[in-house]
Amino acid sequence: MKGLADTMAIRRRLLLTLFLPAVLVLAGGTVADYFATVRPMDQAYDDALVDTAVAIAAHTKKSTGGDPELALSQDLRTILRPDARSQTFFRVGLADGTFIAGDEDLPTPSSASNPSLAETTYRGERIRVVAFKTFADGERITVTTAETMAQRDEARHRALLTSVVTDAVVIGIIAALIWLSVRWSLDPLRDVEEEIKRRSARDLTPLDLARAPEEIRGLIATLNRLFTTVGEHAGKQRQFLDNAAHQLRTPLAGIQAQLELMTADEPTPERQARLRRVLDAARRLSHTAQQLLMLARADESANVATELVDVDLASIVESTISDHVMQAEAAGIDLGASIANASTRGIDWLIAEALRNLVANALTHTPAGGSVTVSCGVWEGAPFLEVTDTGSGIPDADRDRVFGRFFRGSNARGTGSGLGLAIVKEVAAAHGASLSIDRGPGGIGTTVHMVFAYERPAAAEAPPTPAASAAVGEPSISTAPVPRPLPR
Amino acid sequence: MRVLVVEDDALVGDAVKRAIEEAGFAVDLVGTADLARTALRAEPFDLVVLDIGLPRESGLRLLQGLRSRGEKLPVLMLTARDALSDRVTALDLGADDYLTKPFHVPELVARCRALIRRSHAVSTSHVTLGALSIDLSHREVTANGNRLALTEREWAILECFVLNAGRLVSKTRLMSAVADADDALTPNAIEQYVSRLRSKLGDAADIRAVRGMGYRLDERPS
Repeated sequence: MKGLADTMAIRRRLLLTLFLPAVLVLAGGTVADYFATVRPMDQAYDDALVDTAVAIAAHTKKSTGGDPELALSQDLRTILRPDARSQTFFRVGLADGTFIAGDEDLPTPSSASNPSLAETTYRGERIRVVAFKTFADGERITVTTAETMAQRDEARHRALLTSVVTDAVVIGIIAALIWLSVRWSLDPLRDVEEEIKRRSARDLTPLDLARAPEEIRGLIATLNRLFTTVGEHAGKQRQFLDNAAHQLRTPLAGIQAQLELMTADEPTPERQARLRRVLDAARRLSHTAQQLLMLARADESANVATELVDVDLASIVESTISDHVMQAEAAGIDLGASIANASTRGIDWLIAEALRNLVANALTHTPAGGSVTVSCGVWEGAPFLEVTDTGSGIPDADRDRVFGRFFRGSNARGTGSGLGLAIVKEVAAAHGASLSIDRGPGGIGTTVHMVFAYERPAAAEAPPTPAASAAVGEPSISTAPVPRPLPR
Repeated sequence: MRVLVVEDDALVGDAVKRAIEEAGFAVDLVGTADLARTALRAEPFDLVVLDIGLPRESGLRLLQGLRSRGEKLPVLMLTARDALSDRVTALDLGADDYLTKPFHVPELVARCRALIRRSHAVSTSHVTLGALSIDLSHREVTANGNRLALTEREWAILECFVLNAGRLVSKTRLMSAVADADDALTPNAIEQYVSRLRSKLGDAADIRAVRGMGYRLDERPS
C-alpha cells in the first residue's frame, strides 16, 4: 500500500515540508512579538496613571479651616488637562467614599492591592482605572485616576500592524527562496527527464552519469543497465531472426529450384501436374515463412537499436516496379509508376518490403486489362507512398480489418497468407507513418496511402550516376539509398 | 562458356548447376572459398555464382580477394539474408548482381546470361541478342542480317538497352546516356528517340514501355 506521502511529487513534498513549518514559526513569532511589544507599553501607561494618582494625592491638602476638608491645589489642574486622544478623569475621595474633588461618579475599583488597577466602562467608554489609597494630612483618602483606552488601542494597533506587515514580507521572501531553491535542486531531475524524453525510442546509448547529481546516479545507473539489457535483447532477437531466415531460406531455395527443374523436365503430363502442385505449395511455404519473419522483424521490439537512415522512396519504387514488371506483364496488368523525389528517415529494407507487399497484393486483386500504379512524392511536406489498382476493391465491411494478421478478404483471390497488409501495418507503425485505405479514383479498385511524418531536408545536389555503374549496369534491385533526379 | 558455382548447400548447388547447364553452359560446383580459389587459378571462367553464407570463409571475403587482385570476372551473389547491408556490401565490394534465396530458376538463368553477355560485350565489343547483332566498337547493328542506320542518340539508347537486356532501364538513365554537355533533354524527347529506334528495329527486338519508369528491351528469338 502506498500512502499519500509516497506518491506525492518530491517538489510538492519539499515545498510543503519547508513552507508550512516556516509559516507556522513566523506566525507564532508575530504573536509573540505583538505581546512582547504591547505588555511594556501597557505597563508604561499604567505607571503614568499611578504617577498621576500619586501626584494628585500629593496636592490634596487640608484647608486652613479646622475640618479635614481636602482640596486640590490650583496648579494641579494644569497637569490633568486631557490630551487630544484620550480623556483623563480623576476623583479624590475619603476612605469611606465621601467625594472630595474631580468626577464624582468615576467608579473606583476595590481590591486588596494598592494601587489597584481595573478596566471598566465610564460614560459609555472603556476606561482604565487606578485607585490609590494614601493619607493626606492624616486623613485616609482614595485617589482614583482613569483614562479612556483610545490612545492605548491606537498604540496596540500600530504595534500589531507593524509586526504583521514585517512578518508577511519575511514570509514572502522565505517562500520565494524556498520555491527557488526547491526548483533549482530539482533541476537535474528535470534535465534527466528531458534527456530521456528527447531521445528517440531506438536510442539505447547510456545516459551521462558524470553530469547527474549524486542522489540520482543510482537511478541513472539502473536505467543505463536497463538500456543495455534491452539493447542486448533486441540484438539477440534480431540475430535470431536473421539466422532463422537464413536457415529456412536455404533448404526452401533448394527444394523450390529442384522442383522447378523436375517440373520442367517431367515428360508425363499427369506427374508434371502433380509436381507443379507440390512446387506451388513449396512457394507458398517459403512466401509465408518470409512474411512471418518479416512481420517479426518489423515489430518495434526487434528494431529498438536499429539505426535509421535516409531512405530514398523514389529508388524503392523503381526497384519494386522492376521486380514485379514481369509478373504484371504475365498477368496482363499495366504496372506503372508516378515518381517524384521523396525521402524519409527509416529502415530502408522494411519500407521496401512494405511496398513489395502492397504491389503484390494489388497485382493479385487486379484482373487482366487493369492497371496498378505506384506513386511516391511529397504532399504538404509529408513524404508518401501510394499504390492504386483498378481491381476488385475491398468491401467496406472488410476495410478496417484488412491490416489484421492472417485476415483474408471475403472476396480474396489466390492463395495469399493474409500477412501482407499486416506487414505493411507493422512497417508503418515502426516509422510512425499513417496508413489509409480507400476506393481508387472514380470509386474503382483500391488506393493505399502510406504517409510518413518527417521529411529530411532535401539534399542540395543529387549525385550523378557514376559512369562505371552505367557501363556495367545496375543490379535490378537497387539498394543504395542514392537520391536521384527524376522527371516529374 | 564456363560458370563456377560456389555453394555449400548440396540441394541448392545441384539445382543451380543443373539450371545453368540446361541453359547451355559448362558448370563447376565447389562448396568452399578455398576450393573456389583453386578452381579459379586452374581454369578460366566466364562467371562466378557465389553464395555469401559459405562455411569458414564468407563469399564476401572471397569476392573482396578477387577484386583486390584486379579480377574483372562477373560475379552474381546468392544470399539467404535480405538485410540491405549485405546487399550494399556485396555491390560495394564489386559484385555485379545479387539474387536472394529462394529464387526462380528462370530468373537465375536470365541474370547469368545477361552478366555473361555484358562481360563479353565489353571484352569483344560484340553482342548478339536474338535477331540483333551489335558491334559496339564499330557502332554497327544488324537486324536479321540487315544493317540499320542509326543516329548518334538512337545508338546511345540502343547500347544502353542492349547492355541491360531484360532489365528495366529508367528514362533518367537514358537521359544521362544520351545527354551531351550543351543539350538538355526532356523525357518527351527520350520518348521520341525510343519510338524512332523501335520502328527502325522492327521485329528484331521488343522494346516495352513501363509506365512512369522507362523501358525494357527483350530478346526475340531469331
